[in-house]
Amino acid sequence: MTPHRSIITRISATISRVENLTGLYALLFVIVLVFGLITLPSISYHEDPLYPKTLDPASPLDPYDRGGVPFGTTPVKSQYPENSPYAGYVTAYLSPFSQWLADTTLHMGTTIVAHPGGIIDEILYNTRGFDTVVETSILFVAFAIASYLFRRDD
Amino acid sequence: MFNLPNPQIGGPELFVLEFGDIVAYFSPYTTVLFAFALLFTIFVIVSRPERQVDIAFGGDAYYTKEVEPGLLRFQRFMAIACGLATLGAMVTGDVFNFTLFASLVGITNIGIVAAYRNRHVLNAAFQYGIVAMLATIPLFGGAAIVVASTGTLSMWELFTTAVTVPLIAKAFLVLGVMGEGMAPFYIAKAEITRAQGAPFILMVHVSSLLLFLRVMEIVISM
Repeated sequence: MTPHRSIITRISATISRVENLTGLYALLFVIVLVFGLITLPSISYHEDPLYPKTLDPASPLDPYDRGGVPFGTTPVKSQYPENSPYAGYVTAYLSPFSQWLADTTLHMGTTIVAHPGGIIDEILYNTRGFDTVVETSILFVAFAIASYLFRRDD
Repeated sequence: MFNLPNPQIGGPELFVLEFGDIVAYFSPYTTVLFAFALLFTIFVIVSRPERQVDIAFGGDAYYTKEVEPGLLRFQRFMAIACGLATLGAMVTGDVFNFTLFASLVGITNIGIVAAYRNRHVLNAAFQYGIVAMLATIPLFGGAAIVVASTGTLSMWELFTTAVTVPLIAKAFLVLGVMGEGMAPFYIAKAEITRAQGAPFILMVHVSSLLLFLRVMEIVISM
C-alpha cells in the first residue's frame, strides 16, 4: 500500500470491492430518500384516482369484496374504456356455488382463490390483466430458481 | 386513436397494442431497443455454451471444463426468460407494468448467475440479490408516488404537459432500475463473463443496458 494515493485511487479501490457496492447503493438510496422527504410537502394527493378502492368489513366476502353485482352490469372506471368492453365483472365472476357459499357462510373470503371463479377473476379483470400475468411470471421464475437450487444435487 | 404526446423523444408511434388499460407502443426508439433485445434472445436460443480449457503453466497438463446438461438447460431457460422480460419492458406503455418487467429482469439475472458453484461467483450473486431486493422499494415506490400524485399510470397520460410527475417519483424509478440493472458490475468484478456457460451471461448485460435506455426515455418524457 503506497502512502500517497490520490482521492480517485481511493474511490476506485473502494468501489472495486463487490461487498462495498451494496453499501454504496444504500447510501444513494438514503440520499434520494432524504431529498424525497424534503420535497414531500410539495406533492399533493390526486383526489380523483383512476382506480378507486373501498373496503367493507361487514361483507362476507370481506378482503376480496371489490363491489359489483353478480350477473349484472357494473360500471368501472378505466383509463381507456373502449379497450375493455367487459370491464367490471369482477365480483360477478363468482360461480353460483360461490354465490351460495357467500350467502350462507362468512368464510368465503378465505376460500376465494381455491376454486374456479376465485383467482381466475383476477386474470380476467381485463383493464389491468397484463399486470397479473407478469406478477405470476415473477413468482414462477422465483420458484424455478429455488427448486433448481434445491434439487441440484439429486 | 392514440397519438404519442411528445414525439420529440422517441419519435412518433408506429404501432399500438392494447391490453386494456396497458397500451404498449412501438416508436422508432423503442423499436430499435426491441429489435436489439429480440436479436440477443434469438442468439441465446440458438447458441451453444463455450467449451473451455485451462492450461497449467510450466507443463503439458490441461483441464477441460465440462458443462453439465442440467446447468445448460437452466441457464438457457433463465436467459430466454430474461430476454422476454426485456422485450416486455421495452414496449410497455404503463409505468407499473414497466416496474414489474424490471423486477422480472432482476430476478432472472439472479437465476442466470445463481446456477454456478464457484464460491466467488455465488458471493457476488448474493450481494447482487441484496441490491435487487432493496431496489424493489424505490422501483415500486416510484410507481406508487406516480399513481397517488397524478391519478394515472398510463404513459400516454403522463407524457402530456397537463400532468406533472413529481421529481422524487422519477428519481425513485431511476434508482430502482439502477439497482435491478446493477448486475454487470458484479459480473465484471467476479470475472464470470468468461466462465462456463459464457454466452448466456451476455443477456445480463443486454437487459441492463436496455432497461437503462428505456427508463431514461420514460423519465425524460414524463
